[in-house]
Amino acid sequence: MAALSEEVLLVVKRVRQRKQDGTLYLMAERIAWGPEGKDRFTVSHLYADIRCQKISPDGKAKIQLQLVLHTGESTNLHFSNESTALKDRDAAKDLLQQLLPKFKKRANKELEEKNRMLQEDPVLFQLYKDLVVCQVISAEEFWANRLSINNVDHSLSNNKQEVGISAAFLADIRPQTDGCNGLRYNLTSDIIESIFRTYPAVKQKYGENVPHNMTEKEFWTRFFQSHYFHRDRINTGLQDIFSECAKQDEKGLKSMVFQGVKNPMVDLLSLEDKSLDEGYGSNSTAPSTSNTNKTVKENSNSAIIKRFNHHSTMVLAAGSGKKADAPNGQACETSSTDGNSRDSDFFQPPIKKVKIQDVIEYEDLHRENGKKTVALNLKKSDSVLSGSALCTASCAIAALSPGGVLMQALAQQAINQMVPNDVQGELKHLYTAAGELLRHFWSCFPVNTLFLEEKLTGHLEDMFQMAYNKFHAWQTRRMMRKT
Amino acid sequence: MKLNIEGLLVYFPYDYIYPEQYSYMLELKRTLDAKGHGVLEMPSGTGKTISLLSLIVAYQREYPLEVTKLIYCSRTVPEIEKVVEELRKLMEFYSKETGEKNNILALALSSRKNLCVHPEVSSLRFGKEVDGKCHSLTASYIRAQRHSNPSLPSCRFYEEFDAMGKQVPLPAGVYNLDDLKDFGRRKGWCPYYLARYSILHANIIVYSYHYLLDPKIADLVSKELSKKSVVVFDEAHNIDNVCIDSMSVNITRRTLDRSQANVETLQNTILKIKETDAAKLKEEYRRLVEGLKEANVARETDIYMSNPVLPDEILQEAVPGSIRTAEHFVGFMKRFLEYLKARLRIHHVVQESAPQFLKDIFEKVCIDRKPLRFCAERLRSLLRTLEIADIADFSAITLISNFATLVSTYSKGFTIIIEPFEDRTPTIANPVLHFSCMDPSIAIKPVFERFQSVIITSGTLSPLDIYPRILDFRPVTVASFTMTLARTCLCPLVVGRGNDQVAMTSKFETREDFAVIRNYGNLLLEMSAIVPDGIVAFFTSYTYMENIVASWYEQGILENVQRNKLIFIETPDAAETSMALEKYQEACENGRGAILLSVARGKVSEGIDFVHHFGRAVIMFGVPYVYTQSRILKARLEYLRDQFQIRENDFLTFDAMRHAAQCVGRAIRGKTDYGLMIFADKRYARADKRGKLPRWIQEHLTDGSLNLTIDETVQLSKHFLRQMAQPFRQEDQLGLSLLTLEQLQSEDMLQKIAQIAHQA
Repeated sequence: MAALSEEVLLVVKRVRQRKQDGTLYLMAERIAWGPEGKDRFTVSHLYADIRCQKISPDGKAKIQLQLVLHTGESTNLHFSNESTALKDRDAAKDLLQQLLPKFKKRANKELEEKNRMLQEDPVLFQLYKDLVVCQVISAEEFWANRLSINNVDHSLSNNKQEVGISAAFLADIRPQTDGCNGLRYNLTSDIIESIFRTYPAVKQKYGENVPHNMTEKEFWTRFFQSHYFHRDRINTGLQDIFSECAKQDEKGLKSMVFQGVKNPMVDLLSLEDKSLDEGYGSNSTAPSTSNTNKTVKENSNSAIIKRFNHHSTMVLAAGSGKKADAPNGQACETSSTDGNSRDSDFFQPPIKKVKIQDVIEYEDLHRENGKKTVALNLKKSDSVLSGSALCTASCAIAALSPGGVLMQALAQQAINQMVPNDVQGELKHLYTAAGELLRHFWSCFPVNTLFLEEKLTGHLEDMFQMAYNKFHAWQTRRMMRKT
Repeated sequence: MKLNIEGLLVYFPYDYIYPEQYSYMLELKRTLDAKGHGVLEMPSGTGKTISLLSLIVAYQREYPLEVTKLIYCSRTVPEIEKVVEELRKLMEFYSKETGEKNNILALALSSRKNLCVHPEVSSLRFGKEVDGKCHSLTASYIRAQRHSNPSLPSCRFYEEFDAMGKQVPLPAGVYNLDDLKDFGRRKGWCPYYLARYSILHANIIVYSYHYLLDPKIADLVSKELSKKSVVVFDEAHNIDNVCIDSMSVNITRRTLDRSQANVETLQNTILKIKETDAAKLKEEYRRLVEGLKEANVARETDIYMSNPVLPDEILQEAVPGSIRTAEHFVGFMKRFLEYLKARLRIHHVVQESAPQFLKDIFEKVCIDRKPLRFCAERLRSLLRTLEIADIADFSAITLISNFATLVSTYSKGFTIIIEPFEDRTPTIANPVLHFSCMDPSIAIKPVFERFQSVIITSGTLSPLDIYPRILDFRPVTVASFTMTLARTCLCPLVVGRGNDQVAMTSKFETREDFAVIRNYGNLLLEMSAIVPDGIVAFFTSYTYMENIVASWYEQGILENVQRNKLIFIETPDAAETSMALEKYQEACENGRGAILLSVARGKVSEGIDFVHHFGRAVIMFGVPYVYTQSRILKARLEYLRDQFQIRENDFLTFDAMRHAAQCVGRAIRGKTDYGLMIFADKRYARADKRGKLPRWIQEHLTDGSLNLTIDETVQLSKHFLRQMAQPFRQEDQLGLSLLTLEQLQSEDMLQKIAQIAHQA
């Protein structure tokens, strides 16, 4: 039960609990106690579950710490190491003091959130009453399902969404003259982050050099002076710590180029079917212009172009949240699995075919037909359908649905006038409760853990039964009243 | 739907049809009926390919004796594959409608690189390597040697195919490159040789231009194709250049050095063979005395397509005595090489005609015209006799021998230019002998002569009359079709001035002008702010783009552009550019938007489409004239003027405008697509330029969209983009640019359709 990878913040030996000697552990998320000689915890509380801690007054013989939980239960810990008991207790107390507020906030937040949700949503509140208060399902289960939905937007608001990088972030660093033959660059943390994200090589250099070799200021000064930053210059300086970055970039770019492109429609290399042999053709003199007879200006021009492509690629990669060299690894994997580099065309054709078919498609020449729907593909559908749980539930739903057995008796047109409001309300509650249960049911698929299986076969079935009974009881009650 | 095109039942695999497709099929049918050639221009994205295929397949089924084969030539591998997929769709429709199984065999053919399934050979990266390796495993004498020495490596796919593959023809169906590979893998047969063998009895072949136009390849692959074939050249706007390229030769010092080495190898091999197997050489000699009669008979009986490198007269004669023995021939080649070397040792540019060259060579080294003409044939025979495994090694000497044959065969249509150095680097000696073809009709002539119907078609063939002239043929149909539109989805604008009223032009005198560059930059900047998703910009040449990008960088314009969109730039390296292209598309997909800076006449402008959001605007910076200082071009212009009465300027403008049209046309790929076409040069406003744009672009170029300033352009573009962004449904098109069968049959509509085709 103990995850070994948990970070242990404090270990206190010789702590008694219920007259047993043991060791107290304060971990990142919870506090735990295990008896001596056994390697499992008999006491374990999440910090979030702890409402407060109490300590025995000074001067008392027993030096104790009490943890009071939200549920009202409490745990007493007795520090029994004579010489250091007080110190131990205080250390634990201080740490808890620091930790608890953090988790309290979270716990409170969760409670608040639950409260708020219940208040804002009367249907939910009713559901809560129907299901939890009537003990059809436990509160935990009820919220587990709810909060997961909730957590999604939580994570959105909490871990703020990754913002892409402006392609022009380097341009935003405008140098200003400081009045005495110098330049001032204003760097914000945003810009620095942008630089790091776009150019991981610079980040690496930063990590290597700051603060051991130079100060942060010095690092950035050098950065702006470097040839690296000024991309029109050709890299020559060996002193420059960034010359390595440039080389690394070059390498990255080359490896990307070498991998080639995945979309066969843009692969210029395989565009031409049969290129002319060497020596044929009317303007094949171009290849002879090697780098040697290019002027410095031309070289720097093509350097700029290369850097622009590289920069845009990196920005794009940083924006889409994956590293630019990520495909690198993938490509290696694929080529290593089959051991034959060209065998890529074993799995390429589908993509290619789809792309080609996409291109030759004239959508307006076709008669428009209804939107394509995705078919639900149930494996082992009979086992799903034969499940008694589902049967009862779906019977109930079907019966309650408009046009169902139970609803047929009522004239269709004036259903909301014929049925008294309170009946409608009650029916609605039952309906939503059943719906919620069904939601629980479906969320168990695919059944890939033991827990889910248990939930499915064990108590979910009971729940449905209970819900059905409840519905039945209501039905008979209504009948009774009618007659 | 099923159409009735002047009495011909045509199955068309869609529920609706564009009016221009109907019109196109009509013209096509008339061309086939007349058994003549045709030039047809129809905008890209109006379903040209499917119209062509539907009609010709229907024709083939109706008159199986009149048209036995369709040879569909396209330019790039993706294009070829696209055509085959469209064909597959058509065939599926046929079997669905008629309920019977198709008995049509259609297949794509491509180079070994795209078809090889041999695990080692196919892993090679370059086409030439694959060819060489394949040859070293499958050449006939190598296989003969294997009989005595079974340990030699072999290609099991080829052996299997050779043993089994030819007995039963490939079952009917549609085979794309990947299908052929699958089939080959399954059967254990070589897909490449299977395809090459199968094209002889296939009903439809799809392959690239070179298989018909390049005499070196056509002779191997296509010479036995049936005379009763219909040949289609799709995307044919550059066909003249393909023809010229396939007939031109460049010789550098390196070529000569390598040839020298080749000759020495030949000499040694001959000596060796003489000691071991003298009979072989004697046998060859006997064969050469008899001449190339076999080929001649085949050609006369219409089995072979003629080869321009192998003119008719040669076939009737025996190889002249002076080069008949192997040693004599090698000696002859040595002399020829020495002469060429001497010619390259010059300090000034020399330009001469073929007869002048022949006269000179006779005077200097006493080489006659006649043996020169047999050079190519003689070398081929020798290489065969000597059982040379790796032909690729002998590419240099083959090149020289081809040159010898060409120069002695054609007294007209070629020019020889010897340049001691490149114009840009006059200090570095790099002599080149250009043997340059100036007459594209030479390479294509056999095609026009042999096949009963040749269709030249593309989205941009304007002005239509120029192609029959430069390719020297008499078409029975010449027509241009417009794009019927329910909404004006293209917006051509000519920007002539900056906001400061300085004229914008890429004219040579002002192209380095600071104000022009700045205004071009401003245009890009402004457009980057208002156009959604992708913008593609084309420059007139690579160097020009480099210079402009550098000065834009210095002026800080690119920084500002980057605030709006990511920038990707084409480089001379194809692999790098492919990556940039992919990233460009990724940036357009994820909504960030991007700009691609590219070059007219470059690979991107010729082969990549920017559909929908991949290209919402195309900016053409300047008029993409060809580099006019080149001597080869000058010679060609002179030739055009003298032979075809085409004025130099007319041709240059025609050439520039067809490339400009190609570039801007990249963005519109259908009627549901939309895009801005910005011509950023004031010269586009002139009638002589404008008039050479394809009709479907010209139609929308009103007087109000000429000579605009940047501000005006932005206003017009904003308006256009806002309009186009509105939802566009099928109902909007129906009856106007999209027809049902009933609508098509109405009297009204037929009249309207008659006007779509614009006869030149």
